[in-house]
Amino acid sequence: MRLGDSEDQARFRAQLRGWLRAHVPPAQSGAPRVWEAEELRSWSKALWHAGYAGITWPGEHGGRGLSPAYQAIYAEESALAEAPDHVNVIGLNMVGPTIVRYGTQQQRARHLPRILSGETIFCQGFSEPDAGSDLASVRTRARQHPGGYQLDGEKVWSSYAHLADYCLLLARTNPDAPKHRGLTCFLLDMNVPGVQVRPLRQLSGDNDFNQIILTGVVIPASSVLGEVGDGWRVALTTLAHERGTFGITLTARLSVQLDRLVQTAIAVGAERDPVVRREIAELHVALHGLRFTGYRALAALERTGEPGPESSVLKLRWSQANQRLSALALRLLGAKGTIDGPTAFWGGYWQHMRLRARANSIEGGTSEILRSIIAERVLGLPRGRS
Amino acid sequence: MHFALTETQTELKAAARRYLSDRYPADRIARLAAAGAGGAHHTAHDTEGWAELERQGWLDEDLGMVELALLAEEGGRALHPAPWWPTAGLAVPVYQAARSERPGPATLADGTSTCRAEPVARGARRGAGDCAGGWLLDGMVGCVVDPQVAAEILVAARTAGGVALFGVPPYGHGVALTGRAGIDPLRALAGVELTKAPARLLVGAAEAGRLLAAIADRSTVLLACEAVGVADRALEMAVDHAKTREQFGRPIGSYQAVAHLLAESYAELELARSLTYRAACLLDDVRHGRVDGAGSALACAVHAGRRAAVQVCEAAIQVCAGIGVTWEFPLHRWYRRALWIDAYAAGRPDPLTTIAEAVLG
Repeated sequence: MRLGDSEDQARFRAQLRGWLRAHVPPAQSGAPRVWEAEELRSWSKALWHAGYAGITWPGEHGGRGLSPAYQAIYAEESALAEAPDHVNVIGLNMVGPTIVRYGTQQQRARHLPRILSGETIFCQGFSEPDAGSDLASVRTRARQHPGGYQLDGEKVWSSYAHLADYCLLLARTNPDAPKHRGLTCFLLDMNVPGVQVRPLRQLSGDNDFNQIILTGVVIPASSVLGEVGDGWRVALTTLAHERGTFGITLTARLSVQLDRLVQTAIAVGAERDPVVRREIAELHVALHGLRFTGYRALAALERTGEPGPESSVLKLRWSQANQRLSALALRLLGAKGTIDGPTAFWGGYWQHMRLRARANSIEGGTSEILRSIIAERVLGLPRGRS
Repeated sequence: MHFALTETQTELKAAARRYLSDRYPADRIARLAAAGAGGAHHTAHDTEGWAELERQGWLDEDLGMVELALLAEEGGRALHPAPWWPTAGLAVPVYQAARSERPGPATLADGTSTCRAEPVARGARRGAGDCAGGWLLDGMVGCVVDPQVAAEILVAARTAGGVALFGVPPYGHGVALTGRAGIDPLRALAGVELTKAPARLLVGAAEAGRLLAAIADRSTVLLACEAVGVADRALEMAVDHAKTREQFGRPIGSYQAVAHLLAESYAELELARSLTYRAACLLDDVRHGRVDGAGSALACAVHAGRRAAVQVCEAAIQVCAGIGVTWEFPLHRWYRRALWIDAYAAGRPDPLTTIAEAVLG
């Protein structure tokens, strides 16, 4: 057991840091900058040219074939440098590896190079109004149609759908089969007639999630990913890829947020307040607990190909810490926390974070579902539902 | 970065667990604790186990901090009834620094502010550093861990040249031990009173200060590891109970109110475990001069370990419910250790204060 990078990892990290320093505008103090859609697209292309897209993808599919530790280093350094998200994070980290595993030769050739280069942006069409935590009950229908399928239904909570060129869609091909068996995954071209994307406005006022309405959308049979009826397994593969190094990203972001909280405490003159000091110290413990648990999970992933059982606590406890941090930050502003908008402290950054953070314990698996997963799969307690 | 146990470390942990679970099933722990609860002259320790520990290498001077951390964790899981923590955590570094043979189990009495040492030869007062002859110790230390079962008590005492470290035999001339009934009978504290007690000098004033600071770091990290082991065992007992105890025709672990409490306990435990492993790695790095200073990282481990032990034990008692609050059910033995660690560590610099200073200045 050791702390610190191997020699090769240290070299990779140093190069990456240098590259990020040269390419990301220096972080401003206070609220982070907001990136425009065009900036995000060109950032993805820049990453590709520098070799930071597809770090863990196999070499034969255009990746660098490196182990997850390198992806984790990228996730960590990129978050610490406050680089923008890769707009194609779903394509790179979730859809791409799933196409590598289940895709046909044709699908691989068509999609993989474009995902890497940032030309094709992917979104994910899984959740529905009546299929949230119970994802296997999706109702979007895919009916046989000459030469392919006709899609009808509604998807919600789809990030990046307003920018996406393609969607990895989970739909029901056989309503008579048991619910986990009647599903199929599709690679849906977002530009075909009948696909409509509408912003879904959140309680924070943000529009970064979308609703996708599918009305009589006709797609060729070649858009099926994996086997017909095997969509549940394909979808689970996608979700498993999300778990890999995502915890490291979350922790690095929390670390940046903790720095902002400290800056705020100093700016409002609360840094000597013993209650504030105690709360910040507790958040520091939470952050580092998550950080080193993430490294443990990563070490297990490196060795066995599966993140260790301890990885199951990362998202659960990250959401709690981020919510607590945002709540404390707004509290530090005192009565000024009631003001919002451009004249507020940091332009209303903490007001926004305080509201936005409520989604943290819901998006990507609610805390209730995560606790049930820990209880059943890690602790081996009997299932609570039949 | 490879933040995982090596194969050898995994084997060491498994071997320690096997040894402890074979030798100390929960009912034996309960019997030993009952014997120790008498206070002053009784001990809850399995004194016959010591030779075996020495033989197995639990006290080897070349054990790294991660290895010691794993032994401490397993010790907490089993409530290992032996003076391993005071010996390995507090005393071994003193014997190492003194290049002196350790006579058996040992403990440390911190008399920095309450004990003084005088060389035997009066009129020839010299600094502790250059006096190899006999010394006489006077003073009192209120809270010493396991001195009754130690072969030697190490005492930090003031000399004309500064604080130095001495060894006194626990039942020697001028040494009086006052045992006290404790919240955890498996780790009782005793007062040590010294009246012109003959002592041997182990570490002189030039080195003792730095050594005592290193011992404080090492021993508190090992206690945090022990706390993780306590939490681990308490969670295991609660999970076992939740799988088998049925109410309304179903195992209670199938109810989310119970299952989710245990899931949060697991999260608490694993985050603390990661922090204790990190602290242990860091202390190894400090020892080998790779980093200097690890204050806030150690404080994270101490805070998280203590909190995990107390919270997980309390959740476990809640899940075990009626049986969990009985004397017969063994869980309270682990809860007592959690409370002992929480209270004992409270006497040290508050970890959250240390962290706040590092983060906010």
